[in-house]
Amino acid sequence: MSDQAIDRSKLPIRRPPFQGVVNRTLDGSQPDWDFVAPRQAPEGAPNVLLILTDDAGFGNPATFGGPISTPALDRLAAGGLKYNRFHVTAMCSPTRAALMTGRNHHSVGFGMVGEFAGPFPGYSAMLPKDCEPFPKTLQGNGYSTACFGKWHLTPDDQQGPAGPFDRWPNALGFDYFWGFLGGESGQFDPVIIENNTAIGVPEEEDFYLPDAMADKTIEWLHGVRAHGSEKPWFAYFSTGCSHAPHQVRPEWSDKYKGAFDQGWDKLREETFERQKQLGVVPADAELTPRPETMPAWDSLDENQKRVYARQMEVYAGYSENTDWNIGRVIDAIEEMGELENTLVIHIWGDNGASMEGTLTGSFNEWTMINGLPLTDEQQLQLVLKWGGLEAWGTDMMAPHYSAAWAWAGNCPFHWGKQVASHLGGTRNPMVIHWPQGIREQGGLRSQFTHVTDIGPTILAAAGVPEPTHIDGVEQKPMHGTSFIDSLGDASTAEHHTQQYFEILGNRGMYKDGWWLAWMMPRIPWKVDPETIKGFAPGVWDPESDPAELYYLPDDFTQANDLAEQHPDKVKELQELFWHEAEENNVLPLLGGLTTFFGMTPPLPTQSQFTYYGDVQNVASGMIPKIFNHSYTISAELEIPEDGAEGVIVAEADHLGGFSLFVQDGKLKHTYSFVGVFEFKQESEKPLPTGSVNVRMEFAADAPKPATGGEVTLYVNDEPVGGGRMEHTVPVRFSGYAGMDIGRDNGMPVDRSYADKSPFAFTGKVKKVVFDINPHLTGEHEEELHEHLHQALAGHAINA
Amino acid sequence: MSDEHKDVVIAAYLFEDLAKKDFDAVLKLAEEKTITVEGVVLVQKDEEGGVQVSETGDHLGRKGVKIGGGVGLVVGLFAPPLLAATAIGAAAGAVTGKFAKHRLESGIAEKMDAALPPGSGGVIAVYDSDGADTVDKALVNAVKKSVAQIDGMSAKKLKAGLAEAQAGMGG
Repeated sequence: MSDQAIDRSKLPIRRPPFQGVVNRTLDGSQPDWDFVAPRQAPEGAPNVLLILTDDAGFGNPATFGGPISTPALDRLAAGGLKYNRFHVTAMCSPTRAALMTGRNHHSVGFGMVGEFAGPFPGYSAMLPKDCEPFPKTLQGNGYSTACFGKWHLTPDDQQGPAGPFDRWPNALGFDYFWGFLGGESGQFDPVIIENNTAIGVPEEEDFYLPDAMADKTIEWLHGVRAHGSEKPWFAYFSTGCSHAPHQVRPEWSDKYKGAFDQGWDKLREETFERQKQLGVVPADAELTPRPETMPAWDSLDENQKRVYARQMEVYAGYSENTDWNIGRVIDAIEEMGELENTLVIHIWGDNGASMEGTLTGSFNEWTMINGLPLTDEQQLQLVLKWGGLEAWGTDMMAPHYSAAWAWAGNCPFHWGKQVASHLGGTRNPMVIHWPQGIREQGGLRSQFTHVTDIGPTILAAAGVPEPTHIDGVEQKPMHGTSFIDSLGDASTAEHHTQQYFEILGNRGMYKDGWWLAWMMPRIPWKVDPETIKGFAPGVWDPESDPAELYYLPDDFTQANDLAEQHPDKVKELQELFWHEAEENNVLPLLGGLTTFFGMTPPLPTQSQFTYYGDVQNVASGMIPKIFNHSYTISAELEIPEDGAEGVIVAEADHLGGFSLFVQDGKLKHTYSFVGVFEFKQESEKPLPTGSVNVRMEFAADAPKPATGGEVTLYVNDEPVGGGRMEHTVPVRFSGYAGMDIGRDNGMPVDRSYADKSPFAFTGKVKKVVFDINPHLTGEHEEELHEHLHQALAGHAINA
Repeated sequence: MSDEHKDVVIAAYLFEDLAKKDFDAVLKLAEEKTITVEGVVLVQKDEEGGVQVSETGDHLGRKGVKIGGGVGLVVGLFAPPLLAATAIGAAAGAVTGKFAKHRLESGIAEKMDAALPPGSGGVIAVYDSDGADTVDKALVNAVKKSVAQIDGMSAKKLKAGLAEAQAGMGG
């Protein structure tokens, strides 16, 4: 059947009517080979490699003037095109939702990150069936499709074997998925998901996620080509880098030793000069100033300077490693002889570099997420505790650098991640490489482009129409528009002439070169109750926030606020913003922060959780919600005559988590308060053999967040030991590390058994039961419930 | 304040050279007789984890003992094996013999060794309490400090003071 005869407007493509002849036997029957042919992509359709890195700024990669060596990106840019006015949404899941669907993020339920389903359409975190991701269109048109790395579009409470799986990658257009579902992952101890199954923490000693991602991608490419010689493929290579935890082997970070000793102020100036020399920033552009909330480098003491410099060395090495892995994938494609007709779209960052490390940066990003702000002095002490500066970037820490490095990485713009009102959050480098489709090599494109344009552009390159129906569901048109004509013509008109931006109340409105910046007066890393109070219903009036106005064709960096000179333009764009907000389900503003303001979801009804057998890798967002409550963990064990040792149940690791285990014949419990404090209890006597019941009871002091309390250990209902825990984790132990029965996968909670990890129980764990006992009045329970959800929303802000 | 009152400070550093800098600053104060120091120990751990211990003798400042000039009560804290593995001013044999009589078996050496990661350092000082503010300011690069007071200078009291200061370093 000819290409033209295939109706690709409705997916799946209908099988053509049988044109042969069927008799009782083959005698006289006429075959129709078209009837049994698989659906095929349009002739000459290119392969597509879509690369998205994470939490990375316009001024990070050397290709765009930054200090981080990026030879693979350089290579792609030299053989293709740089885009220096490409825009994202300013946050992780929202950008990914817009990228995948070609629609504005709120319109597909992703005004916030994927972990939290909100009670309004724009914040539901549920991709609607009438806005299917474009990979599903490619898949339906004969492409082999795969996604590697970070997904971040599956609700937090739907990430286990119970499903539902309709918002996992396999259901959204990908034949194959290998990566992680959440917003972040450890680089050395991820919990890997393959298709619809958690395959767990890799046990290879030298495992490193970014390296493995490239290996898996290459393996998949080889497999596809081995089994389909003509079939085009689409690979979405979505790195966890450079999101926290910033972890990389020293051979990468040590390359940058001393490279940042000049500090963030000077680095920004150096980057800006290089950006001008490269032409990615116009020669007449102005460098925007450091916000007053960030300290001048020269004001820091010697300890701070050295620690902060190391933070950036690790971030740079981590990022360079990812570029190296991208280079390996490109090399593999070239080796297969397919680079000529592979469209590579490389987006450096799903938002600007992240300022969520607070001013100090942190040895463990989860201190901040659990509402535990640490002073510089405390951070330094904890760095010392967990191995000193040499350990920054190893699996002994879950580090995030200082907000000021992020600001420097977003050079030459204001602000960064979360701040959708300004280019530091929204403008990221993009490089496109496609030898067969782009004649010019090393060119620059400056048309205004947006993440929603990627899907339409890829479909245009593939010669595939945007479908009107998928699986019988009528599809809404994509908001993005193809910029494919710009591949061949630098002077082609700008097609994306208008775009709203909104994340967490930070608003932007772009139209025909003008940009309204309407920032909510909140510093991105501040989510404490005092700050949030100012944005409560009836308190915050978004209309009263100061409006800035920029004309981007003359002002690349948003350095010159023209609001006073052009009040009518301000008003026009403000009205346009509200119109767009209504059209795209942006309203109500702060719809993702409802729990901060008393709109909490219904109380959970389940208070007992039972685990049979050796259940492993329970997603970190799906463990029993023991936080801020009294609770009991009990286990039924079989202990052989010669005794047993090992972990009965453990969640996460030494940077936050708990473990109930047997060691030296004794029952022990270790609880890590986000790596700041460790509380340990153990039984006074050895455990008996045979059938044994062990129990850990935590009696909370009071119904309050992070409550202290008393631990009592029991063996066969007899108290055998205990102790006090002054603090408990109020929100969540980890962003990725799971809970295991009968072992402690990944990094251990208690370092005393690190040499035996995962320290599998040598007897038998028959059953583990969690009982969460409120011991509270209904009023208190409501209060805590509200707090927990506020904190979770705070986590969501920083995911 | 009476000379009988001594402070014991344990200071931890992220960087071995900054520990040395503060150690030198304390020595200078002692040499200038701004403070009276019973002894100061510097522990430096290089990036490979190798340990270097330097010390001053007893009653520095009061008696004018210089760096490396003797092995006193304070350095006795660093009982073998840690001290034996280090190069301090005197010959190893002499050192061992001299500090043996002061050996406190405080466990401080092992604790410091375990607590300090590669590339870091520590300072332990025993000095007259009236110099507390001055010493505190001199240890400007420490990321963590813990001070205990002892009433008089004896092995027993020093040991107790160290234990108290060490406890303050926990958490």
